[in-house]
Amino acid sequence: MPAMPEIILNVDDNEPGRYATTRILNRAGFQVLEAGTGKEALRLARSASPQLVVLDVNLPDMSGIDVCRQLKTDPATAGIMVLQVSATNIAVLDRVSSLSAGADSFLVEPVEPEELEAVARALLRLHRVEAELRRSLAEREMLLREVNHRVKNSLQLVLSMLSLQGGEFREAGAREIFAKAIARVTAIASIHERLYQDTDPLSIDMQTYLSGLCAELARAGIGDERHADLRTDIEPLRLPTENGVSLALIVNELVMNALKHGRPDDRPAIINVSLRRLDAGQARVTIADNGPGIAAGGANKPAGGLGSRLINMLVRQLNGQLRIEHADGYAAHITFPLQAAVTWDSKS
Amino acid sequence: MGLEVLIVEDQMLIAIHLQDLVEEAGHRVAAIAHDGVSALAAVANQRPAIAIMDIRLAHGASGIDVARQLYEQHRIRCLFVSANINEDVRQRVADLRPLGFIGKPFLAAEVIAAVQAAAIAVDSNSC
Repeated sequence: MPAMPEIILNVDDNEPGRYATTRILNRAGFQVLEAGTGKEALRLARSASPQLVVLDVNLPDMSGIDVCRQLKTDPATAGIMVLQVSATNIAVLDRVSSLSAGADSFLVEPVEPEELEAVARALLRLHRVEAELRRSLAEREMLLREVNHRVKNSLQLVLSMLSLQGGEFREAGAREIFAKAIARVTAIASIHERLYQDTDPLSIDMQTYLSGLCAELARAGIGDERHADLRTDIEPLRLPTENGVSLALIVNELVMNALKHGRPDDRPAIINVSLRRLDAGQARVTIADNGPGIAAGGANKPAGGLGSRLINMLVRQLNGQLRIEHADGYAAHITFPLQAAVTWDSKS
Repeated sequence: MGLEVLIVEDQMLIAIHLQDLVEEAGHRVAAIAHDGVSALAAVANQRPAIAIMDIRLAHGASGIDVARQLYEQHRIRCLFVSANINEDVRQRVADLRPLGFIGKPFLAAEVIAAVQAAAIAVDSNSC
């Protein structure tokens, strides 16, 4: 790759001094632009995109330190290296304020030509490294966005495929088996819809996640055709992503059980789903119906099939406890420890 | 009373799924388009009331540009359904009076609710 010619902007209102600096830098092989005022320096820095500005502290219209500060605060020019030069303001305080205004280095005139050249080269080297880092970071971000888009799109294709195929069945039993499969895949897939637009991709907001899944289950066509009133009372609670998926799958299984087995014959079906924070670093999710319960009908017992295997396995994965209660129907309580959430620091 | 809905989505499988959901919500699909050219052609023939719009379309087309044309030329408002919804997208289409934003993978219930809400919004706004 042929190297882009590096441009240095030389800012000095004193003509002989400016001429001398330009001559040294030209001889070292650099392309040099000149400015005599702060205003002109800022204009050229934006239009000509130099890699380095050699900036005199004393300018007629404004202080070189202010020019530097403006360059470093404007995102369009912040990457430009600034070498502040002064003949008169040699007090330590001035050098310190130059550097705190964002200057990358400071030289006191008179400057030896070799030293000016060497410092210019060092700063340009730094600029190249920074530019390369910025470029590769931007590339990474683009790649990540692309992969993220692919994952979400592929999951959508999986769900659409399953839904279309499920629609092919006429027989209620087969439709229901398909509806269950779709609900299970949805519980896993729908976390991706929320994960990356959130500020914190390491944890998931359970309120929107579970409310969405419950709304989905209400129309999934599980159990009989009658309407079931699915009520959610979910505290705003963030869980580590892994635990969030496990909990969502548990809720999914228990709500599907309630839709299938927990409907009363004599009144409208009501299913309550709640998630609450308890004391002592624990939380509890409860899924309760107003159906016949185990004792009354015997039909409410979760079958020994995939559903109950999933529930037992996932409760163990959460280090949780499952408790079944027979009050006005069938209620399952899962109490689980809240881990100290790993927090995401986008700057690290 | 059902609406005529245009679906602009380059993945046919997803488009057909969306069609099922639009019909489940009680509306009709006027046409399915996979890029900007076919979307504008469909609008000329079918006059849909609203559009469901993906952001990344076939042949490098942007759903944002297509949505702008639909709105500026035909006053058709869009419900955006895409894996690319973010703050930038929301801002760029804010002046097109969007009917909503749904991320992919979407929940069917979410799409149905949004189409129903869109039908009410469009209906109460028409003369």
